[in-house]
Amino acid sequence: MLTAAIFIPLAGALALVATRDWTARAARAFAVAVAAVPLVLLIVAWLRFDPGAGELFQLVEEVEWIPTLGVAYRVGVDGIALSLASLTALLFVAAVAFPAEHQGRPRQYYAWFLFLEMASLGLFLALDLLVFYVFFDLSLVGMYFLIGLWGHGDSRRAALKFFVYTLAGSLSILLAILGLVLATDPMTFDMAALIEQQPLAGTGARAGFALLGFLLGFGIKTPVVPFHTWLPAAHVEAPAPASTILAGVLLKMGTFGIIRIPLAMLRESFAEYAFFIGVVGVVSILYGALVALGQDNLKRRIAYTSVNHMGYTILGIAAAGGLLTGSEQARQLALTGATVEMVAHGLITGALFLITGSFWQRARDYEMDHYGGLARQVPMLTGASVLASFASLGLPGLAGFVAEFQIFVGTFAVFPWLAAIGLLGILITAALFLQLLQRVFFGELPSRWSDLSDLAGSEAATLGVLLALVVLIGVFPRWLLDVIASGSRLLLGS
Amino acid sequence: MTWSLALLPLCAGLLLWAWQAVAGRRSVATTRLVLAGGAASTLVALGALAGWATVLHARAEAAFGAGLVLSAELTAEAGVVTVLVPVIALPIVVYAVWHEEAAALPRLVGLLLVFTGAMELLVVAADLLTLLIGWELVGALSWALIGYEWEEIENPQQAAHAFNATRFGDLGLFVAAGAAFASVGSLSYAELTVLDGTALDVFAGGILLAAAAKSAQVVFAPWLFSAMAGPTPVSALLHAATMVAAGPYLLVRLFDVLDGAPWFGPATLAIGLMTALAAGAVGALQHHAKRLLAASTSAQYGLMFVAVGAGYPLVALIHLVAHAALKALLFLSAGVGQAATGSYELARMRLGSRLPVTALLTLVGSLALAAIPPLGAAWSKERVVAAATHEAVWLGVVTLGAGALSAVYATRFQLLAFGPTRSEQPSPRPLVRGPYAVETGALAYLAALCVGLGALWWPASRRALEDWTGSVVPAGATWEVVASLALAAAAIYAVWAAGRRQRLLQPTLLGPGRAVAEWFGLPTAVRRVVVDPSLALAHALARFDDRVVDAGVGGVAVLAGRAAGALARSDDRVVDAGVRGVAALTGWAARVLAGLGELGVDGSVRLLVATVAGAGRDTRRLQTGMLHQYYIIVAVGVSLAFVVAAVWR
Repeated sequence: MLTAAIFIPLAGALALVATRDWTARAARAFAVAVAAVPLVLLIVAWLRFDPGAGELFQLVEEVEWIPTLGVAYRVGVDGIALSLASLTALLFVAAVAFPAEHQGRPRQYYAWFLFLEMASLGLFLALDLLVFYVFFDLSLVGMYFLIGLWGHGDSRRAALKFFVYTLAGSLSILLAILGLVLATDPMTFDMAALIEQQPLAGTGARAGFALLGFLLGFGIKTPVVPFHTWLPAAHVEAPAPASTILAGVLLKMGTFGIIRIPLAMLRESFAEYAFFIGVVGVVSILYGALVALGQDNLKRRIAYTSVNHMGYTILGIAAAGGLLTGSEQARQLALTGATVEMVAHGLITGALFLITGSFWQRARDYEMDHYGGLARQVPMLTGASVLASFASLGLPGLAGFVAEFQIFVGTFAVFPWLAAIGLLGILITAALFLQLLQRVFFGELPSRWSDLSDLAGSEAATLGVLLALVVLIGVFPRWLLDVIASGSRLLLGS
Repeated sequence: MTWSLALLPLCAGLLLWAWQAVAGRRSVATTRLVLAGGAASTLVALGALAGWATVLHARAEAAFGAGLVLSAELTAEAGVVTVLVPVIALPIVVYAVWHEEAAALPRLVGLLLVFTGAMELLVVAADLLTLLIGWELVGALSWALIGYEWEEIENPQQAAHAFNATRFGDLGLFVAAGAAFASVGSLSYAELTVLDGTALDVFAGGILLAAAAKSAQVVFAPWLFSAMAGPTPVSALLHAATMVAAGPYLLVRLFDVLDGAPWFGPATLAIGLMTALAAGAVGALQHHAKRLLAASTSAQYGLMFVAVGAGYPLVALIHLVAHAALKALLFLSAGVGQAATGSYELARMRLGSRLPVTALLTLVGSLALAAIPPLGAAWSKERVVAAATHEAVWLGVVTLGAGALSAVYATRFQLLAFGPTRSEQPSPRPLVRGPYAVETGALAYLAALCVGLGALWWPASRRALEDWTGSVVPAGATWEVVASLALAAAAIYAVWAAGRRQRLLQPTLLGPGRAVAEWFGLPTAVRRVVVDPSLALAHALARFDDRVVDAGVGGVAVLAGRAAGALARSDDRVVDAGVRGVAALTGWAARVLAGLGELGVDGSVRLLVATVAGAGRDTRRLQTGMLHQYYIIVAVGVSLAFVVAAVWR
């Protein structure tokens, strides 16, 4: 079933590429339908998933591939992967359904989206390091073409920067994977076995280098300061739906990778260096928030808040892996919070980027100071922006708070100072989002926007679904928390 | 049932807000009736529900997920405030329906109700997570209410200032929750009593920070001035029974835990006393009706902090109730004055002769604020003084002084806003409009409440309160009451005399007086020391990020490019030369071998056999041992293929 979820989008992409004569409308309808299949399959997986089970991975599917190397096509989920894969499937439906500028090539545009969905789902569902790595690289390819061919402005340069930068990261991951796997005997790429064996435990420097390799690669992907500068460039030039996927899905690959590989498989060295990882998280929180506050461009501002939010996630993960024993309850809380942050950030920032897309399509302008007083003119767009902004600044009753509360409370038990300093981030985020709303939506309406149109049906529906989930998770988070917490519990032991 | 205390106003508020969609098609009168009816019935039901839940000592729990639990409990303290909130909100919301313009009224009334619901959640909370949810929701809704008239950009700006200031305090709650969870493994109030040592210090510090910020104490006081950008009913509700009241309420609710930290009492007392004195001075010099009242709010909550700090939380709670009634009344009166003159400037009011009923009702509130018996607020203020005296006599005396300041600003407000028209005054401008009957009704309701609270002077009511809450009220000495009354009388006389000589407005025109009236320049200081540098830092970092961090990456790219160029050149020179060299060597070797070959075919064959056998052995080793490297080569090759594909497209 999970395999079907991964490869049906690929089949859809091939169908789009192989056949001609698609109208834009038909291509979009087809893409939405295909993208919806994995979502349905994952909802079924969600229903079949048992949070109380003792096994870390469930719904496992396995096919032999290169037995001598211990490589196999293995997919399956724990609570963390299941929630992220479901988020991915949902965001792809939203991104494809959102009105887009396919610049006369709808077939290719939707095909690349479906290809990218395959890569993303494959990554989150993979239980084999080689399979994981292959999907990791494929995701770069998909995003590269979406930004490069359908972006605006200097998009090719931005796409190349994104590609080269993250490819450098992925090579570092590859070396680390080899360093990790070569320590196993018999050799295996099986994640469950690697988590079980902790192959590099007690090897000192070698484990340290492997950890560094993973952290560097995933840190670039996440991104953490100072490896984040590809992000604003890529976002500003990317078409809005691609930005949504980039922020909502691709960034998660970095933090998910950290949870899946170094946190789980290099427990000992991770604990040794966790404090420094936490410091990187705090720096990302504060630096990302402050730089976001310093932006006058709407999309760049939102892009930098991603650095800030992923900083929360890194901090939570660092706290979760900060000790080998003790404070289990708090560390599980931190890890659950970090995962919820990924889901929440995916939904919230996904929605925010779609909103910037609505701005671009109407006005071709991201400068905040060129707007003002839009609240009466475009009430639905305003309402969606206010809700998404408050969710992003961590207002209770919305998804972001659920995540950030758990991260900070959990981290406090392990790194109290880091938690206390990091808290300033939620203050700066509040300031920057309130200022954003004020500059764009309140005050007097400049006369040139007096014919700006409000959200169209498909925009409103897409944003509505994402924001409804943000509210649902904020008000009634239990269904999500219990599934994720089952993963944190089994991963960290109790 | 317990949760419905929060959910009922929340849902009703959202429903009433939704009326905005149809309001355009209905008459204004219909909209007003629907909103007033909906809101009033919700609040009456909420009051009844709150009373009933308090009597039942209701509790509730709900799983949040991941092992966290939301819990609520109607303790005696919580019961008092849960009932107080709808009792005070009712006249304010009904007043708002007629006082404000009809255009966006459903949003205002809806938000006011949602705000009430958030406050109720904060009050019934029995764990830190539930508390934090209510606490932050109250803050965010206050943003929406203060910025209600968003077309004027100052309003959302002020709202953002208020939200940021209180959110800074919210961080204290996060810290407190973290300290509690790290130490006890639970967020429930009931489990917190075992906190001690550093964990307790951190916890108490966080709670005190949050309470001080919410209640506009010391450095946080100016946010209440910003909050004045909101409509009058919003100010009334914010100051009287919600939001600002959350600070002392939380200290009262968690007093048993907090009191375990030895520094907690003195620190709270110091914060409260400083604020009461400073805010008293501000109030005594302000010339803007709502700002004068805002300063008095800080001062009165300061007195509650004093009571908590002195170890008498029940006194703080009673003063909170008495203050809620009088402050709501005074704000609504200020709104009537503004509607009549078109301005909040006290210099333009003096409406006593023209609005005698309003003036009389306001007088009740002013006397209560000045702490004149037999009004209830006078009793609770006496008890605050008594509590401070129990700590140290000099503290009692200073508190008396702070109390006298409240008599000064209360008299000043009453005289300037609703004093009798002066005989020598030039013929006054015509009123913009007089109060509506509903507005006067709301004032009368609150004035009656102020008078009714006079029952506190009755000793039996005090004993009943002590029995019910299990807490004590300090016995007061007679000299305190006498001194307090004498000071109040002197203060009133002094203000009245100054008023006769038309000196009440002058000090505010002078430099130092104006500086005091604007919170001793604190808002400017906060802007210069915190806000402006933060924004400057943000912009500087944004430039740094573009020019340095990103340029660093660009630099690496350039370096890589140069390195590649250098390698390419070395490729030409070294490798190429190497290849040529090898070729030459091979030629030489071939010639040598050709000469040697003639030595004998036999030997060559043996050599060949040996070589093949050795190569076979080596190849077997290669197959097992070199596979990982082979894999690396393949993987790097695949990656390179992607790069090529990408660049070539």
